[in-house]
Amino acid sequence: MNRLSAFSFFLLSTFFLTNCNQSGSDTASGDKPVIGVTMLSMQNEFIVNVSDEIDKKAEEAGVELITVDAERSALKQIEQVESFIAQGVDAIIMNPCEVEASSPAVAKALAAGIPIINVNSATATKPSAFVGSDDVESARIAMKYIAEKLGGKGNVIMIHGYMGQAAQIQREQGAREILKNYPDLKLLASQTGEWDRAKAMSLMENWIQSYGSQINAVFAHNDEMGMGAMKALTDAGLKDKILVVSIDAIPDALQAVQKGTLDATVYQNAKQQGSQAIETALKILNKQPYEQEVLIPFQLVTKQNVAEFVK
Amino acid sequence: MKQLVTSLYNQAGTSYKKRVQGIGTYGILLAFIVICVALALSTPRFLTVSNLTIIVTQVSINALLAFGVTFVIITGGIDLSLGSLVAVTGVVAAMFAHPDTFPLIVPLVFALGAGLLMGGFNGLVITKSKVPPFIVTLGTMTIGRGLALILSKGRPISNLSDSFNFIGGGKILGIPFPIIILLIVFVACSLLLRKTIWGRYMYAVGGNEQAARASGIPVEKIKMLVYMLSGTLAGLAGLVLTARITTGQPNAGQGFELDAIAAAIIGGTSTSGGSGSMTGTLIGALLIGVISNGLDLLNVTSYYQQVVMGVIIIGAVILDGLNRKAA
Amino acid sequence: MSAPQTYILQVSNLHKSFGGIKALDGVQLSLQRGEVLALMGENGAGKSTLMKILIGLESADSGEILFEGKPLKSSNVKQTLDRGISMIHQEILMVPELTVAENIFLGRETTRWLPGWVDDRHMYHQTDLLLAELGLTLSARTKMKYLSVAERQMVEIAKAISNNARIIIMDEPTSALSDKEVTTLFRIIRDLKAQGVAIIYISHKMEEIAQVADTITVLRDGRYIATKPAAELDKESLIALMVGRQIDQLFPEATTQKGETVLSVRNLSRAGAFSDISFDIRAGEVLGLAGLMGAGRTEVARVIYGLDAATAGEIFLKGQKVAVHSPQDAIRHGIGYLSEDRKALGCIPGMSVQHTLTLSSLARFATWGFIEATNEQETARRTVSELHVKTSGLDQGVMQLSGGNQQKVVLGKVLLANPDVVMFDEPTRGIDIGAKHEIYKLIRQLTARGIAVLLISSELPEIIGLCDRVLVLSQGRQTALLSGQEANPERIMQYAVPA
Repeated sequence: MNRLSAFSFFLLSTFFLTNCNQSGSDTASGDKPVIGVTMLSMQNEFIVNVSDEIDKKAEEAGVELITVDAERSALKQIEQVESFIAQGVDAIIMNPCEVEASSPAVAKALAAGIPIINVNSATATKPSAFVGSDDVESARIAMKYIAEKLGGKGNVIMIHGYMGQAAQIQREQGAREILKNYPDLKLLASQTGEWDRAKAMSLMENWIQSYGSQINAVFAHNDEMGMGAMKALTDAGLKDKILVVSIDAIPDALQAVQKGTLDATVYQNAKQQGSQAIETALKILNKQPYEQEVLIPFQLVTKQNVAEFVK
Repeated sequence: MKQLVTSLYNQAGTSYKKRVQGIGTYGILLAFIVICVALALSTPRFLTVSNLTIIVTQVSINALLAFGVTFVIITGGIDLSLGSLVAVTGVVAAMFAHPDTFPLIVPLVFALGAGLLMGGFNGLVITKSKVPPFIVTLGTMTIGRGLALILSKGRPISNLSDSFNFIGGGKILGIPFPIIILLIVFVACSLLLRKTIWGRYMYAVGGNEQAARASGIPVEKIKMLVYMLSGTLAGLAGLVLTARITTGQPNAGQGFELDAIAAAIIGGTSTSGGSGSMTGTLIGALLIGVISNGLDLLNVTSYYQQVVMGVIIIGAVILDGLNRKAA
Repeated sequence: MSAPQTYILQVSNLHKSFGGIKALDGVQLSLQRGEVLALMGENGAGKSTLMKILIGLESADSGEILFEGKPLKSSNVKQTLDRGISMIHQEILMVPELTVAENIFLGRETTRWLPGWVDDRHMYHQTDLLLAELGLTLSARTKMKYLSVAERQMVEIAKAISNNARIIIMDEPTSALSDKEVTTLFRIIRDLKAQGVAIIYISHKMEEIAQVADTITVLRDGRYIATKPAAELDKESLIALMVGRQIDQLFPEATTQKGETVLSVRNLSRAGAFSDISFDIRAGEVLGLAGLMGAGRTEVARVIYGLDAATAGEIFLKGQKVAVHSPQDAIRHGIGYLSEDRKALGCIPGMSVQHTLTLSSLARFATWGFIEATNEQETARRTVSELHVKTSGLDQGVMQLSGGNQQKVVLGKVLLANPDVVMFDEPTRGIDIGAKHEIYKLIRQLTARGIAVLLISSELPEIIGLCDRVLVLSQGRQTALLSGQEANPERIMQYAVPA
C-alpha cells in the first residue's frame, strides 16, 4: 500500500515537474527551444525533403522538434496546432494543407502568442512569417519555356494537380498569365491528374487518341504527372515531337531531363525552404529582426544545367 | 438489337442467381453497349482499335483487383486493403527490379508472395477473430500503406529494368502485355468460380454460411482462400502498375479498392453475398474504363466527369435492379 | 340454415390468378360471429392467397366478399385492420426493441399535450388491462425481444383485440408452441368466441382442429371442396378431402431386419443443454427421440453432427470411437443430419436444386477440383426422380419449391453423402399431409437399405407410428427408453413432463 502511494506520488510529481518545465521554457532562455512542425503529407517526396532539411538544421541549432504529419487533412492540421499550443511550444512551423481551411490554425497560434511560420504554401490568414516560393512564378517559368521553344505558336495541354489546392490554383494562374501574352499559343485541353503518375499516364493516353500529333507541348503541374505523360508519349512514339515540362525537380525528373526524355522541370529549393523556415523561427525567438516573407527563387532545369541539381 | 444483346449476354454467362432462375437479365451489358454506341456517335476517336486497346490496358489493373474482390464479395466479405496492397507489392517489386541486380523472377515472386501473405493475414484474422471483414481489411489498408512507406522510405523507387517494365508496357503480337495478363486471369478466375468445387463452395458460404457449414463445407478454408486470391491478384495488379509507370510508388493505388468494388457491384455481384460472376465484373470494370476514357476524349471537365461517373454507376445498378424485379 | 345476416363474413365465387396460374378458382367461405372455422388444405391449396385477399394484401380478380353484409373492397391493410379483420402471422412481425405496449399501439399511439407526444401512461395502463383480460402474466413494459415465441404470439392476439378485431385469422399459430402454451392459446380462443369474435384457424395439425374448430372448410388446388361441421369429419375422411384420394396407411409398416449397431453414444453431455445421454442405434432401426420443447433433443443431434461441441462423452460408429469437431467430420464418418430449421441450415438462397443436392458430396464429382458436369447432373436427376421431388427442372431455385419438396431436396443432399446413420429433426414440420406420407415412406426405404435412423419429432403419432424404440428426454436428461410395444402417448408424456 505504502509502496503504491509512493509510486503514484512519484508519477504525479514527474508529471507536474515536466509540465512546469514546458510552460516555463518560454522564459527560461537557457533551455532548448521547442518547435512544433506540421507537414502537409509525408507521402510526398518534396515535402519529405523539406522536412528532412528542417530536422537537419534544427539539430545543428540545438532546437527540439515535434514533427507531425497532417496527412493532407486541414482538420487534422488544426488539431495538431491546437495540441502544439496546449504543449506550450515556443514556435510552430506549418506546411499548410489548404489556403482557407488551414487558416484557423494560424489564427489560434497567433492568439496564443506563439509565432507561426508557414512553409512552402500560403494560408488566407497572415502568419508571423512565410517561407516558400511563389507557385505562380514556377508556372510562369515553365510556360515561358514552352512558349519560347515553340516560337510562341502551337497547341498546349495542361495536366492539373488536385483541383482546388493552393498549388494547383496558383500554377494554373501562372500558366494562364503567360498564355495570355502569346495569342497563338492555344490551350487544347486541360484535366486533373490528381498529382498522380498513373492517372496522368492514362489521361495522356486518352488525349493522344483524341488529339494525336496536334499536341505540341504538355505542361504538368508536378513532375509525377509530367513523368506519367512522358511515359504515355514515349509508348505512343510521340515523345520526340512533343515538349513535356513540369515542376518540382524530383530525382526521377532530373534523371529524365539528363536523359533528354523530359524537356524541363522547375526546381523548387526544398533545402532552402527547410533551412530558412528554421532560421526565421530562431530569429523570431531570439527577438532579432526578420523578414515577413522569405521567397526562395525557382530555377528552370534543362539539359544544359541539370548537372548542378543531380546529387 | 435486343436479340443481339440477349444472345451476347447469354453467351457471356449470367450471374449465378440469374442462371439458376433461367432468366437472362442484361441490364449492365445493355447500359455498357448504350454508352459505347453514344460515345462512338459523339466522337470518331472512340471506336478505333488503338483507343479500344488503350481502354482495356487502362482497365486491366482495376479488373485484376475487381476479380479478386468478386471472390471475396461472393462469400459475403469485403476487402478494403486492395489499394494499399497494390502499393506494398509495387514497392516490393521495384526494390528487386533494378537492372542487373536480380533475375526477373525475384521481383515477380516477391510481389505476388507479399500479396498472398497480406491476403492470408486478412483471411486468418477474419476467420480466427470473427471481427467483421470490413474492420479487419480497413486495418490492413492502413498497415499496408504504412509498410509501403517504410519500405520505400516515402520516396518513389525508379530505375527499373526493361524486362520488368515489359510487364506493364510490352507488347506480344501487338497486344499490350497487361491485356494478355487480364485475359488469362479472367479465364482462370471464371473457371475457378464456375467449374470447381471451391467456386461452388464460395457461393454456398456467401448464400448461407450456417447452411454451408452444416453441409460439411470447410467454411474457414474457403474464406482463407478468397482473401489469399484477392491479395495475390492485388500483387499482380501492383506488378502491372509498377511496370506501367516504371516506378514503385508508396502512395500508389489510393482508392483503387473502391473502383474494384464498384466494378464488381456494377457487374451484378450482390453485396450481401451468394451471387456474382467474373463476366459481370469484367463488364463492370470495362464500363468504368469506357466512361472515363470517353469523357477524356470529349474533354469534359473533371468536375463534371465525377458527377457523370456517379450518375452512370447508380443508373446502371438501378437498371439492373429493375430488370431483375421484372424477371 | 340461419338467416344470411348472421354471417359476419361471406365470400363467394372468388377468383385470383398469378400470371396464368389459378391460385383461387371459385372459392367460397362463410363465417358466423363466435365461430371457429378451420381452413384446411395442402400447401398450394390457396389458403394463404385467400387470407391475403381478406386482409387486403392482394385484391381478387373477381368474386364477392361481404363483411357484415356490406361489400369489402379494399386492397389496403390499414383499412381492413380498422374494420376489424386482424391476422396473426406465422412469422411474427413486431419491433423487437420496443416494449409490449409500444408494439400493441404501434401506428395508433394515443397522444396528448402536443401532436406526436405519446401518452405513455394511458398506453401502458390499457395494455395492462388487456393482458390481464387475456390471463397473461406479462409486463407491458418488457421489450419484445425478451419474449418467447409463444408470448409474442399472445401479444399479437392482444394487439388484434385492442384493435376491436371482429375476425382474427390465425396462420399455423401452434407451430412453435409447447403443449402448455397451446392450452393457453385454446383457452384464449374460447374466450374470444364467447365474446363473439370469429376466428379463421389455419393448421395442418388434425388433433388441434378436432379440439378447437366448429366448422371445417377444405380447399384443394385453389378450388372449394367442402364445408362441414368439425364433429362430422374424422381424420381419414378429412385427409381424403384434402388430398383427393385415400391414403390407406399414413405410417408404412416396417419390414426390415435389424443389423449390427451403427451409432453408439455414451454419456454425451453439453453444459447447459443436456447431460449423460447414452443410446445405440442398429442398422435398419428407427430410434425416436421424444420430449417437450427445450428438453434438449435438437441439441443432442447438433452435438453428434459436430455443429456444437460436447463437453463430455463419446461417440462410436460401427464400434470405432470417432472425434466429430465439425459437420465436415460428421459427414466423413457417415453421419447425416436433416435439420429442423430448413431455411437456416438446409438451403442456400439462390442455389439450384441440382447444386443443393450435390453440396455435401461435391468432391466425389470432381477431379483436380473441377466438377464433372454430366456426372453431377446425372446424379441429381436420379435423386430427384427417386425422391419424387416436384420441380420444374434441376435449375430451379431450391427456395422456390414448396416446403415438402425443399425438405426432399435437403434430404437428398444428406443421402448423397452416403450416410450410415441419418438424424431427422422434425422432418414433417410445416409440410402437408401428402408430403408427410412420402417422407415416412422414405424413412422406411432408408432402413430397408440398412441405414440407422434417429427421429426427433414433437408429433407423438409420428414417433409411435415409425419408431422401433423411443428415447424420452426431459430437461436435458434421458428419462426412459421404451420399446415399440411400450410406447404410447400417455407413457411418453409421463416421462417427458418434468417431475
